[in-house]
Amino acid sequence: MAYLSMGEAHRRITEYLNKFSDAVLYQDVTSLARLFSFSSNSPSLLSVADALNVFQDANRLIKQSDKFSQFGEILAQLLRSLQSYRLGNLVDAYHAFEKFANAFIQEFRNWESAWALEALYVIAYEIRVLAERADRELASNGKSPEKLKGAGSFLMKVFGVLAGKGPKRVGALYVTCQLFKIYFKLGTVHLCRSVIRSIETARIFDFEEFPRRDKVTYMYYTGRLEVFNENFPAADHKLSYAFANCNPLREENIRMILKYLIPVKLSLGILPKAWILEKYNLLEYSNVVQALKRGDLRLLRHALQEHEHQFLRSGVYLVLEKLELQVYQRLLKKIYIIQKQKDPSKAHQLKLEVIVKALKWLEIDMDLDEVECIMTILIYKNLLKGYFAHKSKVVVLSKQDPFPKLNGKPVG
Amino acid sequence: MEESGRRRQQRRNHPSTTSSSSTTGSTHFRSQIFSSNPARTTQSSNFVPRSTATIGTAPHNTRNSGHLPRWKSETNENNQREGEKEAGEEVGSIVGTCPFMCPDGERAQRERLRDLAVFERLNGDPRKTSPALAVKKGRGGNALELSTDLNIRTISLKYVQASDVRPLSVLEDTLNYLLNLMESSEHPFEVVHDFIFDRTRSIRQDLSMQNIVSDRAICMYEKMVKFHVVSHHRLRSCGGSSISSLHYLNMEQLSKTLASLYLLYEANHGTNPIYENEAEFRSLYVLLHLDSKGQQTESLSFWFSRVPSLVMKSKEMHFARQVLRFYRMGNYRSFLCTVSAEASYLQYCIIEHYVNEVQALAVSYINNCCYKLHPYPLEHLSKLLMMKESDLESFCHACGLETSSDGDGNKSLPTKQTTFCNPREVFKATSFWDFSSRKVERLTAFFEIAGLLALKYMGLGYFKLVK
Repeated sequence: MAYLSMGEAHRRITEYLNKFSDAVLYQDVTSLARLFSFSSNSPSLLSVADALNVFQDANRLIKQSDKFSQFGEILAQLLRSLQSYRLGNLVDAYHAFEKFANAFIQEFRNWESAWALEALYVIAYEIRVLAERADRELASNGKSPEKLKGAGSFLMKVFGVLAGKGPKRVGALYVTCQLFKIYFKLGTVHLCRSVIRSIETARIFDFEEFPRRDKVTYMYYTGRLEVFNENFPAADHKLSYAFANCNPLREENIRMILKYLIPVKLSLGILPKAWILEKYNLLEYSNVVQALKRGDLRLLRHALQEHEHQFLRSGVYLVLEKLELQVYQRLLKKIYIIQKQKDPSKAHQLKLEVIVKALKWLEIDMDLDEVECIMTILIYKNLLKGYFAHKSKVVVLSKQDPFPKLNGKPVG
Repeated sequence: MEESGRRRQQRRNHPSTTSSSSTTGSTHFRSQIFSSNPARTTQSSNFVPRSTATIGTAPHNTRNSGHLPRWKSETNENNQREGEKEAGEEVGSIVGTCPFMCPDGERAQRERLRDLAVFERLNGDPRKTSPALAVKKGRGGNALELSTDLNIRTISLKYVQASDVRPLSVLEDTLNYLLNLMESSEHPFEVVHDFIFDRTRSIRQDLSMQNIVSDRAICMYEKMVKFHVVSHHRLRSCGGSSISSLHYLNMEQLSKTLASLYLLYEANHGTNPIYENEAEFRSLYVLLHLDSKGQQTESLSFWFSRVPSLVMKSKEMHFARQVLRFYRMGNYRSFLCTVSAEASYLQYCIIEHYVNEVQALAVSYINNCCYKLHPYPLEHLSKLLMMKESDLESFCHACGLETSSDGDGNKSLPTKQTTFCNPREVFKATSFWDFSSRKVERLTAFFEIAGLLALKYMGLGYFKLVK
């Protein structure tokens, strides 16, 4: 670092403090937000941070002038946080940032209009990111990582501040999404429920009023929760909304949405086109889709095994596993079609041994009892129309529509 | 190497690995012995709160050798600065010195108040007990306070005396004593269960207060989980009006104790990537949540995304996932085959309930899908469902279905009956286990005190020999 004189350090800090108070005075939210957007690592911020490490007594500066001392606690903690951040002491940086944020919220409450909402967004974002980094630091030192949890509590407080009748309430969805990210990261997704309830049932909120970007994020996370709980129609609705309204230029976001939307659609019997999988790099689903098209049980199992780790991590493994029944249906349909070509009058009778043979050809070993069991499942769940004659070991298909389509309803 | 009480002070300036403290070199480190002798060393602990000076820890540096961080360490640091403490927050951890299963004071008091459980009475006298019989009671009687989570200290340590808290070796002996009572036939099982339920809770409280998180704690937690699992199974055969609430409370404690056990595993993963029994105990979680509908807790999909991969690769998890897959598909044939062929005793205790459910499901499917003119032969069905034919007949009736008989005495199930319903009372398919290729005799082995370590794996070693 080039030599930094006391005078220069003093100047930089004073300039920073001035920017803050001017931004508040003139309600210039963009300039304001820039001052605590640590993760941007902007050169100007870092240069102030360097100055703090040289000057060391910024508090005196704050107290010296009314212009600054009116924001005493806010500025003191902000500077402290910035200084620690620069030194790489992320736990300290987090602590101070949380205090800064608390103090800021107190001021924010007093401002009538919602002019500072964007700045609040930046605070919500920064506090989450700082907490994550602080936790990593704690974990690497063998301590218990609990800052992200604290950030969650703080954001709940912020949510409370925004959940009122005034214009600030449109900010609540952004904060909600930050909370979702925290809960998903921590694994405490059950905590999402209470926030969701607040958003969806409170009369002060009108979902349509929220900014589009926040609505997409919200639907993405709530859609994912529906996937975890296997409510496929609801998951389809939410994830499709997110997909339709997402900025088409944000390909990474679209990819994330599709990662969950595709298994949902598959469960409803709707197959994606190959170009979508290619365009958004979701090729792990290619074999799954092929297996469904061809009734190839072996391919499905192979695909699940090949990408097992990935599917487990994203939480879609169990959903994909359940597609087996649809693959069976397709396989039987193929057998039926072949039989129809050979002898139309007998096509609707599927002998168990023929099915066993077909499975053997796919390198899947099943005895008659198990095949019989699968047949009863398919019939019971309405993937096959017909009945099963145990004595003659034959499945007798109905002459009309023996292989009912799912029609957008998941398998029972 | 001997460790001085000033290790803490030294460590403060060297938060990461210090060459001055030794490591035992083995992954199963011994915990310290609570005596006035200098403590034997443990692995170098990286878990030292940043500022240790004013936290009121006990004078011996007898922090147990687990690597579980003190959850409150950072807030302690903050609170120090602000000079305030949260209500009920622990002030360091305590080191117990009580040499008996029950502290003297409590024993005397309960004698006076005639508050002695049946197992604690000397010669049946409700006013007399002895140090060999009395066991410390759990604190916090009502169901709402049954939380003995590692993270929650419901008891403020400010008012607790070290002489009221039992050190680790006493706790181990107490636990073994309690579990031995499982085999007692003098009293109905509900009474035995109730006693052990409460007294093991107290053991967990003592462990928690002393912040003991080592291998030995893991071993104890595993045994306590086993107790709840076996109780889950045995309570099914008990009658009485309070059984369903006993059952419910037992399930609740089972889940909580299991969750604490997982935290212990995870905290110790730095030294030991997977414990010997960990895979089996993790698999129990899956089996407890086979039926995910209406669950308050997080879904299995979410849970799987966070399980360590070593665990996922284990044969026990593989079994659990197979069973889950068959259950979700409704594949009764593979479900029952796999369970009977591969389930361990513990796993079976949990799945037992689902076995009944799947058997009923199979009857319902077959009734629904089979050709009306071909009644399904019970003989074959009994093989499929792994039930004795006589049991199967009663089972069908319990499902609201009639069975029929032909001239030769062959029984069958006429299909397409419209009266199917799920059997209301718990159908004791006791014969299922007979079909199992892992048939189990009385499990006295696994609760024996003698040779307990040798039969560590819940007596499964014994089964393997028998097989």
